[in-house]
Amino acid sequence: MKEKFARSNTLFLQYLKRDWKKIIIWILGIGLFSAAFIPAFEEIAKGQGLIGMFETLQNPAMTAMVGPTPVEAAADYTLGAMYAHEMLLFCGLFAMIIAVLHVVGHTRKEEDLGLTELVRSFQIGRQANSLAAMAETVFINILLALFIGGVMASFGADTISAQSSFLFGASIGMAGIIGAGIALVMAQMMPTSSSATGSALGLVGLLYIIRSGTDVSNVDLTMFNPMGWTYLTYPFTENNWIPLIFALIFCVVMTVIAFTLEGGRDMGASYLPQRQGRESAKKSLLSVQGLFIKLNKGVMIGWVIAFVIMGAAYGSIYGDMQTFLESNELMKQMFAHSGFSIEESFTGTIMMVMIGLVSILPIAIVNKLFAEESRLHLSQLHATKVTRGQLYWTSIGIAIFAGLIGILFASGSLGGIAISAMGDSATMDIVDFLAAGYNFLPSLLFFTGLAALALGWAPKLGKVVYAYLGYSFMLNYFGGILDLPDAFSKTAIQSWIPQLPMEEFDAPVFITIMAISIALMVLGYLGYKRRDMIEGA
Amino acid sequence: MTEIVKLQGLQKKFGKFQALSDVTFTVNAGEVVGFIGPNGAGKSTTIRALLGIIKRDAGDAEIFGKDVWKDSLEIHKRISYVPGDVALWGSLTGGEIIDLFIKLHGGGDKQKRDYLIKRFELDPKKKAKGYSKGNRQKVGLIAALSVDSDLYIFDEPTSGLDPLMEAVFQEEVEKIKQAGKAILLSSHILSEVERLADKVVIIRQGKIVETGTLDELRHLTRSTVTLVTKGDVAEMASVNGVHDFTQKDNQATFSADNQCMNDILKEATKLGVTKFESVPPTLEDLFMRHYEG
Repeated sequence: MKEKFARSNTLFLQYLKRDWKKIIIWILGIGLFSAAFIPAFEEIAKGQGLIGMFETLQNPAMTAMVGPTPVEAAADYTLGAMYAHEMLLFCGLFAMIIAVLHVVGHTRKEEDLGLTELVRSFQIGRQANSLAAMAETVFINILLALFIGGVMASFGADTISAQSSFLFGASIGMAGIIGAGIALVMAQMMPTSSSATGSALGLVGLLYIIRSGTDVSNVDLTMFNPMGWTYLTYPFTENNWIPLIFALIFCVVMTVIAFTLEGGRDMGASYLPQRQGRESAKKSLLSVQGLFIKLNKGVMIGWVIAFVIMGAAYGSIYGDMQTFLESNELMKQMFAHSGFSIEESFTGTIMMVMIGLVSILPIAIVNKLFAEESRLHLSQLHATKVTRGQLYWTSIGIAIFAGLIGILFASGSLGGIAISAMGDSATMDIVDFLAAGYNFLPSLLFFTGLAALALGWAPKLGKVVYAYLGYSFMLNYFGGILDLPDAFSKTAIQSWIPQLPMEEFDAPVFITIMAISIALMVLGYLGYKRRDMIEGA
Repeated sequence: MTEIVKLQGLQKKFGKFQALSDVTFTVNAGEVVGFIGPNGAGKSTTIRALLGIIKRDAGDAEIFGKDVWKDSLEIHKRISYVPGDVALWGSLTGGEIIDLFIKLHGGGDKQKRDYLIKRFELDPKKKAKGYSKGNRQKVGLIAALSVDSDLYIFDEPTSGLDPLMEAVFQEEVEKIKQAGKAILLSSHILSEVERLADKVVIIRQGKIVETGTLDELRHLTRSTVTLVTKGDVAEMASVNGVHDFTQKDNQATFSADNQCMNDILKEATKLGVTKFESVPPTLEDLFMRHYEG
């Protein structure tokens, strides 16, 4: 024992000291995200809100996403029941992901970096580091659980009892500990920290997907899923502590497995061999286009999946929109425009919001070229026959392409799910949704153009484009409520574009903004062609 | 001799900082030019200006008789470059990156590539994020040496390589030199420059302070002499051209101006020489003299 774990208590205290800022952000971030939305939910619950939300969440698509509720009749659906139903799974998921990143970062990553080697040369047990990192993560999650419970109980809201609040917090904390256990095992199995993180997060994702299946088909089966043990506690309704005991046993078993595995391997070794890559490049990689597509592929796929989920989430509300909106003054004001159905009005607004989010992707791709430049990845390319124009226009081209695909998936997914949710009462077809989406193409291109302009003339300002995007996003999102003066709201580029399907398509505005965007890109190129490349200098 | 690289009064400012104030030298075909100077002297800046990565403020810079900024693409078809810090894409393997560089250069010799991978003992199937500094450097070197160029620019190419791999690199450079190519070799490893370079260019604070063959440069400086005489060796201390004189019993060690060597020898023979050793200055001595003096 001593040989293995000597001085892990010293390391543990050292780690708390080293990470204290991170720990505070961690607990405040997840804690407030999990606990502090109670006033907002009270707002939603007013009038017919609870019943509306209950009906909305009966949709299997929603159950697949947020999980089940034990409540069977809308009348029993209390504020607490709704809060746990909508928030618990996601908050637990976040806690799990953060714990995975933290544990791998302090175990396998340190091994990769050679820190472990240094630490082990002192009078410190061979496995003391893993024990200390694990203990630290457990400790943080216990604090997190208490914090969440305390904050929730402090609101004193109706049906949010103190005991249930702490169960809610404990469920989230336990989710984090489960994540830590999975991560610690993967850290022993995998040859590198990135593959350990990847496989642990992959497992978490897999558990999530499996539970969406079992939640819809048969909730009892979810009881065999470690992820299920976090939200099947049903705080504020059934208050079932038993799943947490399963989870605790699971975590102990995972930890024992991890320590056994670690005891049986050399530092830096792994149970699964390093996957060999390709010895020579595929033809598709051997061009600037091929290279840039490969470099941006992960980001593009990740975001497109996010767009699809986002579209599906908004789309699933269409079925019960009438009930929901009538009960909520705030929402009503946001979406109501006279003379149109609530669905059409909603489509116009939500599309503006969604395409604003889709615009992040092309900005990220354009900014990526500068990231590549400042990381010195392009030094050798500059010494080949590759022109700056090729680098620039390839990036712009991929960005525009990604934007077009993003709009397609976001509005397509919104439309598809919305139409199926509305059933026979559908007032719009898929073309209406796609048209409403592509109607905002000029705004997306405008953001891309701004990013391109920054790339050419002042690449460090590339990030400012996100700030402008965020600013116009806020203006669009809250503009309807705040009744802003026209000149002010026109500072957001989307405000110039009419919202389909309620308003008429405005071809001159559409073409003008497109033209300005292309002009920005050309202007950016003129700068990019002649400026000094920044290489750490 | 064909002039491949020709720099005349090259200048570059970064904001207020004068990175290059007067860089003038040439590189001829079939010649290895060693480009030396401490960190921050302007070696990499000069090379980046040559590659058209940054734009010069003043002066002339030509490669193959073409302007390095205006005709950069024409020039780049016939040059290879290895930066001092080869940064690679972590998600690609070494083999993939080498192929990509070769392709973007305009094609190279597949057999040469495989041969070099073997010689440098690189594992091409490993993802680049797993490579050490030395292995990343190998990727850059293999890609640069696999293509047929007329000018090779190496910016501290062997940093992180072990001595065996350094030797492999030196052999490969000898080969391309024999084939009549021009090579600009910027390096901190002075023994490497001493071994490979026909000509040495020393840069200091953005200015070229010395250019010439190693022999020419040596002539300008002092040799280290060890002398043992029958008579009192202390008399040598006052001879013209003797510096840094130290004495232990009858053995004296001093540095001697090469142009005064004849007088020094004459004086020494008067004392009865039993031992005389003269070591020419190493490049390191030259280098130190420029930077300490």
